[in-house]
Amino acid sequence: MARRGIPSSAINANMTPMIDVTFLLIVFFVVVSQIVDRDAVPLDLPAPTQAASGIPDSAEHVTVNLVPIAGGEISGIVVGGHTVAVDAMDELTSIVNTRLQGGATDVHLRADRATKYLYIHQAIEAIRAVGTSPRMQLVVDGEYR
Amino acid sequence: MIIRRRKAGTIGLNLTSMIDVVFLLLVYFMVATEFKTAEESFPMDVPIRNHGQTLALDNEPLVILVESSGVGEKEIRLRLEGPWDPISSLNALSTFLRSNKAGGFGNSGLFTENHPIRIKPTSDTRWEHAIATYNIVVGANYTNISLDEPL
Repeated sequence: MARRGIPSSAINANMTPMIDVTFLLIVFFVVVSQIVDRDAVPLDLPAPTQAASGIPDSAEHVTVNLVPIAGGEISGIVVGGHTVAVDAMDELTSIVNTRLQGGATDVHLRADRATKYLYIHQAIEAIRAVGTSPRMQLVVDGEYR
Repeated sequence: MIIRRRKAGTIGLNLTSMIDVVFLLLVYFMVATEFKTAEESFPMDVPIRNHGQTLALDNEPLVILVESSGVGEKEIRLRLEGPWDPISSLNALSTFLRSNKAGGFGNSGLFTENHPIRIKPTSDTRWEHAIATYNIVVGANYTNISLDEPL
Protein backbone atom coordinates (compact mmCIF):
# COMPACT_ATOMS: atom_id res chain seq x y z
CA MET A 1 0.00 0.00 0.00
CA ALA A 2 1.41 3.31 -1.06
CA ARG A 3 1.65 5.96 1.70
CA ARG A 4 1.13 9.49 0.68
CA GLY A 5 3.48 12.10 2.08
CA ILE A 6 2.04 14.90 4.21
CA PRO A 7 2.34 18.24 2.34
CA SER A 8 4.91 20.52 3.86
CA SER A 9 2.63 23.62 3.93
CA ALA A 10 2.06 25.55 7.20
CA ILE A 11 -0.95 24.75 9.34
CA ASN A 12 -3.62 27.49 8.91
CA ALA A 13 -6.71 28.26 10.93
CA ASN A 14 -9.91 28.44 8.90
CA MET A 15 -10.71 32.17 8.90
CA THR A 16 -14.03 32.05 7.07
CA PRO A 17 -16.46 31.64 10.02
CA MET A 18 -14.62 34.25 12.06
CA ILE A 19 -14.85 36.78 9.24
CA ASP A 20 -18.53 35.93 8.79
CA VAL A 21 -19.28 36.63 12.44
CA THR A 22 -17.14 39.75 12.50
CA PHE A 23 -18.89 41.24 9.49
CA LEU A 24 -22.26 40.45 11.04
CA LEU A 25 -21.20 42.30 14.20
CA ILE A 26 -20.01 45.29 12.16
CA VAL A 27 -23.27 45.47 10.22
CA PHE A 28 -25.20 45.25 13.51
CA PHE A 29 -23.27 48.12 15.11
CA VAL A 30 -23.45 50.27 11.97
CA VAL A 31 -27.23 49.88 11.86
CA VAL A 32 -27.76 50.36 15.59
CA SER A 33 -25.54 53.42 15.86
CA GLN A 34 -27.71 55.25 13.35
CA ILE A 35 -30.89 55.03 15.36
CA VAL A 36 -29.45 56.64 18.46
CA ASP A 37 -31.18 59.89 19.29
CA ARG A 38 -28.19 62.19 19.53
CA ASP A 39 -30.29 65.09 20.78
CA ALA A 40 -31.08 63.30 24.02
CA VAL A 41 -28.94 64.18 27.03
CA PRO A 42 -28.60 61.35 29.61
CA LEU A 43 -31.07 62.19 32.38
CA ASP A 44 -32.74 60.42 35.29
CA LEU A 45 -36.22 60.69 33.83
CA PRO A 46 -39.35 60.28 35.97
CA ALA A 47 -40.68 56.73 35.95
CA PRO A 48 -44.32 56.73 37.10
CA THR A 49 -45.67 53.43 38.39
CA GLN A 50 -48.36 51.82 36.21
CA ALA A 51 -47.53 54.36 33.54
CA ALA A 52 -50.30 55.19 31.08
CA SER A 53 -47.73 56.68 28.73
CA GLY A 54 -47.22 55.49 25.18
CA ILE A 55 -44.29 55.10 22.83
CA PRO A 56 -44.06 58.35 20.85
CA ASP A 57 -44.50 57.92 17.11
CA SER A 58 -41.49 58.53 14.93
CA ALA A 59 -42.60 61.99 13.82
CA GLU A 60 -39.83 64.47 13.31
CA HIS A 61 -39.27 66.21 16.61
CA VAL A 62 -37.13 68.67 18.47
CA THR A 63 -35.86 67.56 21.88
CA VAL A 64 -35.68 70.06 24.72
CA ASN A 65 -33.46 68.82 27.59
CA LEU A 66 -33.41 70.53 30.98
CA VAL A 67 -29.92 69.78 32.34
CA PRO A 68 -30.12 69.33 36.11
CA ILE A 69 -27.79 70.41 38.88
CA ALA A 70 -28.15 69.72 42.60
CA GLY A 71 -31.25 70.80 44.47
CA GLY A 72 -33.72 70.62 41.59
CA GLU A 73 -32.15 73.60 39.81
CA ILE A 74 -31.06 73.49 36.17
CA SER A 75 -27.78 74.63 34.64
CA GLY A 76 -29.27 75.26 31.22
CA ILE A 77 -31.42 73.89 28.44
CA VAL A 78 -29.89 71.79 25.65
CA VAL A 79 -31.84 71.91 22.40
CA GLY A 80 -30.58 70.94 18.96
CA GLY A 81 -26.92 71.14 19.92
CA HIS A 82 -27.28 74.57 21.53
CA THR A 83 -27.17 75.28 25.25
CA VAL A 84 -29.59 77.96 26.34
CA ALA A 85 -29.13 79.77 29.67
CA VAL A 86 -31.96 79.65 32.20
CA ASP A 87 -32.61 83.38 31.89
CA ALA A 88 -32.62 83.39 28.06
CA MET A 89 -35.90 81.69 27.27
CA ASP A 90 -36.37 83.87 24.15
CA GLU A 91 -33.46 81.97 22.64
CA LEU A 92 -35.24 78.66 23.33
CA THR A 93 -38.35 79.99 21.60
CA SER A 94 -36.40 81.02 18.51
CA ILE A 95 -34.49 77.70 18.26
CA VAL A 96 -37.69 75.65 18.62
CA ASN A 97 -39.39 77.94 16.10
CA THR A 98 -36.59 77.38 13.58
CA ARG A 99 -36.80 73.61 14.01
CA LEU A 100 -40.60 73.61 13.68
CA GLN A 101 -40.33 75.61 10.46
CA GLY A 102 -37.80 73.03 9.30
CA GLY A 103 -40.43 70.29 9.42
CA ALA A 104 -40.54 69.09 13.03
CA THR A 105 -44.06 68.59 14.40
CA ASP A 106 -43.45 67.46 17.99
CA VAL A 107 -41.51 68.91 20.90
CA HIS A 108 -40.09 66.33 23.32
CA LEU A 109 -39.61 67.75 26.80
CA ARG A 110 -37.06 65.82 28.86
CA ALA A 111 -36.31 66.76 32.45
CA ASP A 112 -34.74 65.09 35.46
CA ARG A 113 -37.17 63.70 38.03
CA ALA A 114 -35.88 66.11 40.69
CA THR A 115 -36.20 69.27 38.57
CA LYS A 116 -38.44 71.94 40.09
CA TYR A 117 -41.71 72.52 38.28
CA LEU A 118 -40.87 76.24 38.04
CA TYR A 119 -38.30 75.51 35.30
CA ILE A 120 -40.56 73.03 33.50
CA HIS A 121 -43.25 75.68 33.31
CA GLN A 122 -40.79 78.28 32.02
CA ALA A 123 -39.77 75.86 29.25
CA ILE A 124 -43.40 75.06 28.38
CA GLU A 125 -44.25 78.76 28.21
CA ALA A 126 -41.23 79.41 25.97
CA ILE A 127 -42.41 76.63 23.65
CA ARG A 128 -45.97 77.97 23.73
CA ALA A 129 -44.61 81.38 22.69
CA VAL A 130 -43.68 79.86 19.31
CA GLY A 131 -47.30 80.47 18.40
CA THR A 132 -48.00 77.45 16.21
CA SER A 133 -49.19 75.14 19.04
CA PRO A 134 -46.92 72.13 18.41
CA ARG A 135 -47.72 68.76 19.98
CA MET A 136 -45.73 68.37 23.15
CA GLN A 137 -44.49 65.02 24.47
CA LEU A 138 -43.58 64.79 28.16
CA VAL A 139 -40.87 62.13 28.11
CA VAL A 140 -40.68 59.53 30.89
CA ASP A 141 -38.63 56.42 31.48
CA GLY A 142 -40.44 53.39 30.10
CA GLU A 143 -37.85 50.80 31.06
CA TYR A 144 -39.34 49.61 34.33
CA ARG A 145 -42.83 48.77 33.18
CA MET B 1 26.48 27.98 -6.09
CA ILE B 2 23.54 26.19 -4.53
CA ILE B 3 20.18 26.91 -6.08
CA ARG B 4 17.24 26.28 -3.75
CA ARG B 5 14.08 24.93 -5.21
CA ARG B 6 11.00 27.04 -4.56
CA LYS B 7 8.27 25.33 -2.60
CA ALA B 8 5.18 24.43 -4.52
CA GLY B 9 2.80 26.42 -2.18
CA THR B 10 -0.88 27.12 -2.96
CA ILE B 11 -1.91 30.59 -4.11
CA GLY B 12 -4.00 32.33 -1.40
CA LEU B 13 -5.19 35.81 -0.44
CA ASN B 14 -3.40 37.43 2.46
CA LEU B 15 -6.28 38.08 4.86
CA THR B 16 -4.25 39.62 7.67
CA SER B 17 -4.60 43.28 6.66
CA MET B 18 -8.33 42.90 5.97
CA ILE B 19 -8.88 41.36 9.38
CA ASP B 20 -6.89 44.20 10.96
CA VAL B 21 -9.16 46.79 9.37
CA VAL B 22 -12.32 44.82 10.14
CA PHE B 23 -11.39 44.53 13.81
CA LEU B 24 -10.60 48.22 13.98
CA LEU B 25 -14.05 49.00 12.56
CA LEU B 26 -15.66 46.59 15.01
CA VAL B 27 -13.90 48.15 18.00
CA TYR B 28 -14.79 51.65 16.77
CA PHE B 29 -18.51 50.90 16.47
CA MET B 30 -18.60 49.00 19.76
CA VAL B 31 -17.06 51.97 21.57
CA ALA B 32 -19.01 54.66 19.70
CA THR B 33 -22.44 53.07 19.95
CA GLU B 34 -24.81 54.38 22.57
CA PHE B 35 -28.03 52.47 22.91
CA LYS B 36 -31.17 54.52 23.12
CA THR B 37 -32.98 53.97 26.38
CA ALA B 38 -36.60 52.90 26.27
CA GLU B 39 -38.46 56.17 26.58
CA GLU B 40 -42.16 56.80 26.53
CA SER B 41 -44.15 60.00 26.63
CA PHE B 42 -47.41 61.70 27.53
CA PRO B 43 -48.76 63.85 24.69
CA MET B 44 -49.94 67.29 25.78
CA ASP B 45 -51.43 70.09 23.74
CA VAL B 46 -50.03 73.57 24.25
CA PRO B 47 -52.69 75.82 22.75
CA ILE B 48 -51.86 79.45 22.05
CA ARG B 49 -53.02 81.69 24.86
CA ASN B 50 -55.73 84.07 23.85
CA HIS B 51 -55.20 87.39 25.58
CA GLY B 52 -58.27 89.01 24.12
CA GLN B 53 -61.89 88.63 25.10
CA THR B 54 -62.60 85.09 26.13
CA LEU B 55 -65.91 83.36 26.24
CA ALA B 56 -67.02 81.81 29.48
CA LEU B 57 -66.03 78.19 29.80
CA ASP B 58 -68.78 75.64 29.50
CA ASN B 59 -67.18 73.56 32.18
CA GLU B 60 -65.37 74.88 35.17
CA PRO B 61 -62.02 73.07 35.06
CA LEU B 62 -61.08 70.67 37.81
CA VAL B 63 -57.89 72.04 39.36
CA ILE B 64 -55.55 69.60 41.10
CA LEU B 65 -52.97 71.24 43.35
CA VAL B 66 -49.73 69.27 43.72
CA GLU B 67 -46.90 69.72 46.20
CA SER B 68 -43.82 67.67 47.06
CA SER B 69 -43.47 66.86 50.75
CA GLY B 70 -40.20 64.97 50.33
CA VAL B 71 -37.95 63.37 47.77
CA GLY B 72 -39.61 59.95 47.84
CA GLU B 73 -41.86 58.78 45.06
CA LYS B 74 -44.90 58.71 47.36
CA GLU B 75 -44.12 61.89 49.30
CA ILE B 76 -46.66 64.03 47.54
CA ARG B 77 -49.52 66.23 48.76
CA LEU B 78 -52.62 66.69 46.63
CA ARG B 79 -55.62 68.95 46.96
CA LEU B 80 -58.61 69.57 44.74
CA GLU B 81 -59.77 73.14 44.29
CA GLY B 82 -63.48 73.39 45.03
CA PRO B 83 -65.99 71.69 47.27
CA TRP B 84 -64.39 68.26 47.12
CA ASP B 85 -63.36 65.94 49.90
CA PRO B 86 -59.63 65.97 50.71
CA ILE B 87 -57.48 63.65 48.64
CA SER B 88 -54.71 61.90 50.54
CA SER B 89 -52.78 60.03 47.89
CA LEU B 90 -52.42 59.33 44.18
CA ASN B 91 -54.55 56.22 44.60
CA ALA B 92 -57.31 58.31 46.18
CA LEU B 93 -57.09 60.75 43.26
CA SER B 94 -57.39 57.86 40.83
CA THR B 95 -60.47 56.55 42.65
CA PHE B 96 -62.02 60.04 42.72
CA LEU B 97 -61.47 60.62 39.00
CA ARG B 98 -62.75 57.19 38.00
CA SER B 99 -65.82 57.24 40.23
CA ASN B 100 -66.84 60.76 39.17
CA LYS B 101 -66.57 60.06 35.46
CA ALA B 102 -69.76 60.36 33.43
CA GLY B 103 -70.53 57.29 31.40
CA GLY B 104 -68.45 55.15 33.69
CA PHE B 105 -69.52 52.47 36.13
CA GLY B 106 -73.03 53.32 37.39
CA ASN B 107 -73.07 56.34 35.07
CA SER B 108 -73.45 58.74 37.97
CA GLY B 109 -70.36 60.85 37.36
CA LEU B 110 -69.96 64.58 36.94
CA PHE B 111 -67.04 64.85 34.56
CA THR B 112 -67.10 63.89 30.92
CA GLU B 113 -64.06 62.43 29.24
CA ASN B 114 -63.02 65.82 27.82
CA HIS B 115 -63.72 67.79 31.00
CA PRO B 116 -60.83 70.26 31.39
CA ILE B 117 -58.43 69.14 34.11
CA ARG B 118 -55.64 71.48 35.15
CA ILE B 119 -52.71 70.24 37.17
CA LYS B 120 -51.25 73.07 39.21
CA PRO B 121 -48.02 72.17 41.00
CA THR B 122 -46.13 74.58 43.26
CA SER B 123 -42.85 76.10 42.03
CA ASP B 124 -40.78 73.69 44.12
CA THR B 125 -42.69 70.53 43.18
CA ARG B 126 -40.43 67.79 41.85
CA TRP B 127 -41.08 66.96 38.19
CA GLU B 128 -41.64 63.29 39.02
CA HIS B 129 -44.54 64.24 41.29
CA ALA B 130 -46.14 66.45 38.64
CA ILE B 131 -45.74 63.64 36.09
CA ALA B 132 -47.11 61.05 38.55
CA THR B 133 -50.27 63.17 38.92
CA TYR B 134 -50.49 63.61 35.14
CA ASN B 135 -50.14 59.84 34.78
CA ILE B 136 -53.06 59.23 37.16
CA VAL B 137 -55.33 61.58 35.18
CA VAL B 138 -54.32 59.99 31.87
CA GLY B 139 -54.86 56.56 33.42
CA ALA B 140 -58.43 57.56 34.33
CA ASN B 141 -59.00 58.20 30.59
CA TYR B 142 -59.39 61.96 30.65
CA THR B 143 -58.18 63.69 27.51
CA ASN B 144 -58.22 67.42 28.18
CA ILE B 145 -55.31 67.82 30.61
CA SER B 146 -52.99 70.78 30.98
CA LEU B 147 -50.14 71.79 33.25
CA ASP B 148 -50.97 75.12 34.81
CA GLU B 149 -48.66 77.88 35.93
CA PRO B 150 -47.02 77.19 39.29
CA LEU B 151 -48.86 78.12 42.46
